[in-house]
Amino acid sequence: MTFRIIGSLMILISLLVLPYWIYIPVLFIGIILFPYFWEGILAVFLIDIIHSNATEMFSLLISPLILSVLITLIIMVPVRESLRSYV
Amino acid sequence: MKMNYLPKNRLKHPYFRRILILVIIFISTAVIFSFLDTFIISIITPIWRVKNIITIGTDIPSIPQEQIQENILRELVGRKQKTNIIIASVLTRPPQTPYDVILIDAGSNESIIVGSEVSLPEGPILGVVSQVFSKSAKVKLFSASGENTNAILERNNMPVILIGVGGGNFKLTLPRDIVIEKGDRILSSDITSRHLATVGEISVEPTDSFQEVLAKSPINIFTLRFVFVTP
Repeated sequence: MTFRIIGSLMILISLLVLPYWIYIPVLFIGIILFPYFWEGILAVFLIDIIHSNATEMFSLLISPLILSVLITLIIMVPVRESLRSYV
Repeated sequence: MKMNYLPKNRLKHPYFRRILILVIIFISTAVIFSFLDTFIISIITPIWRVKNIITIGTDIPSIPQEQIQENILRELVGRKQKTNIIIASVLTRPPQTPYDVILIDAGSNESIIVGSEVSLPEGPILGVVSQVFSKSAKVKLFSASGENTNAILERNNMPVILIGVGGGNFKLTLPRDIVIEKGDRILSSDITSRHLATVGEISVEPTDSFQEVLAKSPINIFTLRFVFVTP
């Protein structure tokens, strides 16, 4: 849980001060590393709100970056269930 | 023999519920964040302002001599340019932002409105204000992906449409008979005819009837510090 909170904070700080080619991969790494990383949805919406022009609800919903995060999260749900970390 | 039956209301795949929750979080975040954008920007702007002061400094540029002379010439021909230019510092710029959108530290308090023209102190025009907050504004650069801008090819005074491809780059397609060379200037189509882009690469295949031209912004947008805004 501590790692998860630190990871979320790192993503939040990096999207405010670091280039996008660092914080977007970090976000996807967080989605892969942490189980059921729903905080990633908040982070990606924050990226689009502060850095893009799309602030209306519909344009946010169809943003390629936001959709790719959602799809990755959905894919990771069954993938993580079938992974055995203790092997 | 002991038999185990699945309860009727139990889902076959337990992760469907988790996916459903993710979709609900997704939609509700979109709804909430679409109303909170002004609030979020107003919270984050001071952080970027402090970061800019620490990393870059605050020496504000003055209006260059060439621009003053240009304004005098324009006055002589009866096309007086607006003189209420606002100097704004750039709070976020690419590559911090994945889109070609910059945030400046001047907003509606400084009478900036949506559509205000944003240019460099040296003259080249960069983009237009797309969103205004009380103390900041978002500027969509002409090089933003998919953005179409009317322009003039200086070499042969030919009107063209510049298509933004991101990262301060543009793309345009011309008939192959049009003479164009690397380094040619592309100007804005208004009376000011300001520098918009410089031709970088020209690619044409022997079988093509068109040539594809790649142009780049006259300045490095990754190092933008100050801009002039004309309300």
